[in-house]
Amino acid sequence: MNRALGYLGQALCYTLFFLPLVYLSHEPTYRVLDDDTALLKLAVRHPGKIIGECTTTTESGQGMRPTSMAQVTEVCPRERSALQLQLILDGKTLYRDTVPASGLHSDGIASVYMQFEVPAGSHNLQLRMNDDEAIEGYPWQFEQDIELQPAQVMVANFKQGFRLQ
Amino acid sequence: MKSPLKMGMNRLDSLFSKVFTPAWNPMYQLGGLSFFYFWIVAITGVYLFIFFETSITGAHASMEYISVQQWYLGGIMRSFHRYASAAMGVCVTLHLLREFAMDRYSGVRWFSWVSGIPLLWLLFASAIGGYWLVWDIQAQYIATTTAQLFDWLPIMVDPMASNFLNEAALSDRFFSLLVFLHIGIPLALLLGMFIHIKRITGARTNPTKGLAAGTLLAMLVVSLWQPALSQAPANLDVAVTTVGLDWIFLNPYTLISSWGPGQTWAILVGLSTVLTILPWLPSKRAKQSPVAVVDPDNCNGCGWCLADCPYEAVTMKEHDFKKGHQQSVVDPNLCISCGICAGACPSSSPFRHVDELTTGISIPGFHIKELLSLTESKLAELKPDEPRILVYGCDHGSVVDSMSSPSVATVSMPCTALVPPAFIDYVLRKNLAEGVMISGCCEGDCHYRLGNEWMNQRFDKERMPVLRTRVPREKVRLRWLGEQGTAQLAHEVSTFQADLSDEIASQPRESVHE
Ligand code: HEM
Ligand code: SF4
Ligand code: SF4
Repeated sequence: MNRALGYLGQALCYTLFFLPLVYLSHEPTYRVLDDDTALLKLAVRHPGKIIGECTTTTESGQGMRPTSMAQVTEVCPRERSALQLQLILDGKTLYRDTVPASGLHSDGIASVYMQFEVPAGSHNLQLRMNDDEAIEGYPWQFEQDIELQPAQVMVANFKQGFRLQ
Repeated sequence: MKSPLKMGMNRLDSLFSKVFTPAWNPMYQLGGLSFFYFWIVAITGVYLFIFFETSITGAHASMEYISVQQWYLGGIMRSFHRYASAAMGVCVTLHLLREFAMDRYSGVRWFSWVSGIPLLWLLFASAIGGYWLVWDIQAQYIATTTAQLFDWLPIMVDPMASNFLNEAALSDRFFSLLVFLHIGIPLALLLGMFIHIKRITGARTNPTKGLAAGTLLAMLVVSLWQPALSQAPANLDVAVTTVGLDWIFLNPYTLISSWGPGQTWAILVGLSTVLTILPWLPSKRAKQSPVAVVDPDNCNGCGWCLADCPYEAVTMKEHDFKKGHQQSVVDPNLCISCGICAGACPSSSPFRHVDELTTGISIPGFHIKELLSLTESKLAELKPDEPRILVYGCDHGSVVDSMSSPSVATVSMPCTALVPPAFIDYVLRKNLAEGVMISGCCEGDCHYRLGNEWMNQRFDKERMPVLRTRVPREKVRLRWLGEQGTAQLAHEVSTFQADLSDEIASQPRESVHE
């Protein structure tokens, strides 16, 4: 093959290689969220109440130790309650779940993250949580009318009570 | 699926060999090109790092500075960084498909194949990390979607998503971690690349100069014409609605967005698993024949087989019974049974005065004495009215058996580099044929990596054992045309015969009938 023709062919090959590559590095655009939709994020990080009561024991040492060294110890259970969470939007339950405490012995913080695509506009938002297995119902309750702009991100989290950001 | 892929590859090979010449053919150097792009990304990355600001507020602005104020250098560096990454992604994918299509992934090659798979993950992770650092809306999409992917795993105690809830939740610490990862993961990739080629003799980790220059020039043009830029800055208080995506590296993200993290994990892990076990899945390909065997009696310790083995299967050790001498040893786990070592061994000479031809090293499936007896018997059967041609061919290149005729004898073997140059000398000196044609895989694309290169060098007297000077070179031709060049090889054989006839006719009568 003619040398010049060869270089021309190579230029064509490089073009055919790089053109799609450059195009595909930013096009076509991808639609992540519909217009007129907002994002509602629920992020709760909260330790549930400890299950059970602390008990006090008096240890006499069963004769192994002198009685003067008898000790009073408080023994507390470590296991924590799971969280029962509910998110209700305009009267419809969007989320309802039990979030277990973390850790091998269920003694850690319970953590959950959920997100919901919600049509922009006004809504009624209700949040409920029970963090104590000893109690029935939802000791933590929250209700608010909200106004969501398109593409707005609204975060509902919990710090001694639900709050919106 | 494999054979149409192979046909497609062969078409591309032929086309590129015409346009680029075989030496510059990119299809033959996809691994080397991937290395080359890696180095470009590494060097430009160091430059970008000098100007990059590791903070939420500074990251996007510093990239804007590089692209806008410093367009003439920083901007070009950034474009090279991005486009070389993308090119590497494409080359690695083609490289994988090609090794698969050409059946170069099973047997002892399992190591290269399996060690390639983590490289895919590391390459994608490196690229994704890079896009993340820019902290534009694509990065925002990456952040929230990656969080979705990882939060699906039961190992996450605290959801990763809580780092990207809104602007208030974001911290500079996370950026430092990202920078650390965007340096660490590419370093792990580089380490993996070296492990990947560990079992390959003289792996081609550099593309040929012409190809390197061409691709650099092309990237420069592209960088000036379409510089790599950021999208709008990220703002976690506003959800991403539409985003420009890098479809080469971020295509798994569309899976996460449309099918969910569980399915995405299933697809990614499933695909990787299938790829990993592929070398051991049943297939129609022929089983590898037994590995090379050393005969210490005939080994003088010259080390030529070690120099020619394409898979580092040969080493030298103290000779079994000749004190102070060396002998070769074959590691059966590395040997691919190509027979190239037999062609390298000086003991493989048919001129030796022995009852039965023996040699220092040979593959049992096609021993050198078998090559000799096949050569002699096939040539003896010829009833020529034209000059007799002996065609040596390889099982992976041009199909030579179809060319047999009353004046053409053909012998096919695992790799034509199994033929010691002394055989050509022998055939012509003993007047068993008028010409010898050596064929095989395409130039630069030997199925056993180096066979045709070594043959060229042996015949050009650049590599031991050389073709002796007394052999008339006009009676020997080497044609590396590959499977797709079978018809052309047949044509070349006829031309060879015609040329030899002309030559014989032009010689004085006496010398014809000696
Ligand atoms: C960063 C990515 C990669 C780079 C830079 C790379 C580079 C290379 C190089 C330089 C060679 C030696 C070629 C030669 O000299 O003959 C090679 C061989 C090979 N590669 Fe890769 N590779 C990469 C990824 C992969 C992947 C993803 C696979 C498949 C899963 C793969 C499969 C193979 C195989 C099977 C061989 C052996 C070929 C033979 O023995 O003939 N590679 N690679
Ligand atoms: S047969 Fe091939 S792979 Fe095996 S030792 Fe000989 S040259 Fe090396
Ligand atoms: S080429 Fe032959 S003689 Fe030389 S080391 Fe190898 S086996 Fe021995």
